[in-house]
Amino acid sequence: MNKVKKFIGGNSALFAFAVLFILAVVLKGSTFLQLNNIVNILRNNSIIGIAALGMTLIIITGGIDLSVGSQLVITGLVVITTINATGSIALGVIAGVVTGAILGGLTGLLVSKCKIPAFIVTLGTMTIYRSMSQYLLNGGGVMIKGPRADAYITISNANLFPRFPLPIFYWMLLAVIIYLFTKHTPTGRYIYAVGSNEKATLLSSINVNRVKIITYLISGVLVALAAVVETSRLGSINSASSGSSYEMDAIAAAVIGGTSMSGGRGKIFGTVMGTLTLGIINNMMNLLGVPPFLVGAVKGSIIIGAVLLQKRLNESAA
Amino acid sequence: MSGFVVEMLGIEKSFNHNKVLHSVDFYLRGGSIHALLGENGTGKTTLMNILGGVLKSDAGEIRVDSAPIIMHDTSVSENNGIAFIHQELTLINDLAVYENLFLGKELKKNGILNKSEMVKQSRDILEHMGIDLNPTDMVSELNVSYKQVVEIARALLRNARVIIMDEPTASLTDIEIDNVFSIMRSLKGKGVSFVFISHKLREIMLIADSYTVMRDGRVVADGAVDGNVSEESLARYMVGKEIKYDDVYSPRPLGDTIIEVKGLSRNREYRDINFSVSKGEIVGFTGLLGDGRSEIFATVYGCNKPERGVVLVKGKLTRIRSTSAARNNGISFVPRDRKENGIVKDLSVASNMSLSIIDRLKGILFISHKKESQSNQVYVDSLHIRVSDINVLITSLSGGNQQKVVLAKALGPKPELIILDNPTQGVDVGAKLEIYNIIIELAKQGVSFVILSSEAQEILMLCDRIYVMYHGEIRRELSRAEASEENIMILATGGSVENWGRAL
Repeated sequence: MNKVKKFIGGNSALFAFAVLFILAVVLKGSTFLQLNNIVNILRNNSIIGIAALGMTLIIITGGIDLSVGSQLVITGLVVITTINATGSIALGVIAGVVTGAILGGLTGLLVSKCKIPAFIVTLGTMTIYRSMSQYLLNGGGVMIKGPRADAYITISNANLFPRFPLPIFYWMLLAVIIYLFTKHTPTGRYIYAVGSNEKATLLSSINVNRVKIITYLISGVLVALAAVVETSRLGSINSASSGSSYEMDAIAAAVIGGTSMSGGRGKIFGTVMGTLTLGIINNMMNLLGVPPFLVGAVKGSIIIGAVLLQKRLNESAA
Repeated sequence: MSGFVVEMLGIEKSFNHNKVLHSVDFYLRGGSIHALLGENGTGKTTLMNILGGVLKSDAGEIRVDSAPIIMHDTSVSENNGIAFIHQELTLINDLAVYENLFLGKELKKNGILNKSEMVKQSRDILEHMGIDLNPTDMVSELNVSYKQVVEIARALLRNARVIIMDEPTASLTDIEIDNVFSIMRSLKGKGVSFVFISHKLREIMLIADSYTVMRDGRVVADGAVDGNVSEESLARYMVGKEIKYDDVYSPRPLGDTIIEVKGLSRNREYRDINFSVSKGEIVGFTGLLGDGRSEIFATVYGCNKPERGVVLVKGKLTRIRSTSAARNNGISFVPRDRKENGIVKDLSVASNMSLSIIDRLKGILFISHKKESQSNQVYVDSLHIRVSDINVLITSLSGGNQQKVVLAKALGPKPELIILDNPTQGVDVGAKLEIYNIIIELAKQGVSFVILSSEAQEILMLCDRIYVMYHGEIRRELSRAEASEENIMILATGGSVENWGRAL
């Protein structure tokens, strides 16, 4: 009995996911379980899924990044305009990734060296990035054009093999890479140490500032990659609407996945489960025909409920 | 009738099939100070948590004034006049002293807080305790020793008849300890009883009327503290074998100078600090709390910049501006306050131990978990760290074993100089002795040590040379032969030792 409790407690993200999954099967099993629907859920959430990986790392260090959505717009904008200007997809992707790394690194610098709370820094950058995007695009959007447009769109719209769209593959690949990073590299371990006890980590001769900067930088790169998936999926980016509230979904995915908002604890697998849990919630509301304006209320309540359930499970296991 | 204010009979307690208390009997006489001794993890704190209503016993009976009570939560304990001052202080930093004293029991007048009355009562109780402390000061501005004092004041304010103190003196200076002790004695005269959990045998001999020694969840000895009881006999009960403190120090050849500090100053913290440490030498820095010694070595270890002065590592001018630079210059650090600065609570024993060197245990991309566990095993063996599974969370270990893990972390980079700040804080006698022996052994192998401690005994047991600090300055350097507990105390409190016929 204790072992069962322990298992559920240690895998509460999986448990929360299972509860919602079963609920979905019970309520709308016939449609929900269709392969097309499952594939859709996975594909539609791959972008948030990728952004949530970086968010998880940041939250583990004890930080937060509210600028994910605006970062996605500005890096997406860089990718598309670069491809449109040069006709090279590779150059576009590289430009986007470099931009993401710079923006993330900058946030990390402000949070670590300048010791400004991450919430404040990213509240600022969130507004700055969005405003800059809107200024550059005159409040509108930009479409992929030119001879490489079709090839670029293939990146997210083709299948790896039948019924397995590429975005799912990118997401899973990045999740595995980030998982290996957290589990098997020194910096990965420092991320947990910094979030759990920054002072003790510093006094263990670890450069805490460097760890934080790297974390935000990695998140910036992941957001840039999410922007590539997003822009190639849609063929465009819109400065006003793209990426809106992505940061909230990414935070929700990490938290549902069991990441502690106070830092020090969290698992990449949990975040993947958390993203899928969110995905199922969205999907169910679609299938059940919840009025669009009520979706937010239902979703918010389920997120709070899921986290509450997890807390209970964690406590009973402890 | 029986004269006992508290009787605990046949108390049993298990955690997950792991029996930690085996039919323990514990008696506390009214108006007495009773020492509860034992190494870490022997069940003392568990027993007292049961008395405090924090934990429930599996079997046994608790009587207060000979009447059996059912201890189902902390309020029962509180209503019976039992107060528990925990090792981890429970004060709220962002409130004033008086607000903490009255937390949850605020005095009101016409429905609003009666600040002046609370401040007055607080001032009375603090004055009564002989503590120079303003009730309206913020707790965040107090050092740890004063926080402890505020905890005691809070218990007194609630008319506690039985005060349980879990290692109350761990972070106090000798003068503050004297203050606390005189308060305890005067309260004892008024019928208040104390359970005093401590590792410091000397203090127990000073203050306690009676004692109970626990080992492995059982009471192994109890009785009155009288002529038949000595520090040695208590220590023997605790560890189950004879220990001699005098055996610790051992002279050894010293090598070249490892580190030399010249004119180091950070105005508000310390001024004009000059000292040196040779290869294989153990140098002590002692004084009262807040004398600036921790701050000096925070600078030496690269946590901050000095305003003036230089550090020479092996004769070479070296700017250490980060803790990683300190490591690369062969310096390691074991900080004070293990819980705050030493351990990373969400990481395992293994990850804590290897934290300082994990970047050196790497293959091309990934950590070599084989190298990591080999490295960890070396320290588990050589430091005798008692842990059944190295992958459990560090917080599941006893204080002494946690401290050994922190020491292992400092040893990992193979440093030439290790700075130990309060190395045996909250560590039991057995583990303490083990840590001392490890230090001496490493010094024989050529590792140099700087030991920061307020415990003169500890300094005298280990050090070749001693610097006594007072208000941010080195008051005097003493050789091992010159130093004694008395002259260290005189120098540390700002006195001079000229009357020994020696010019300062």
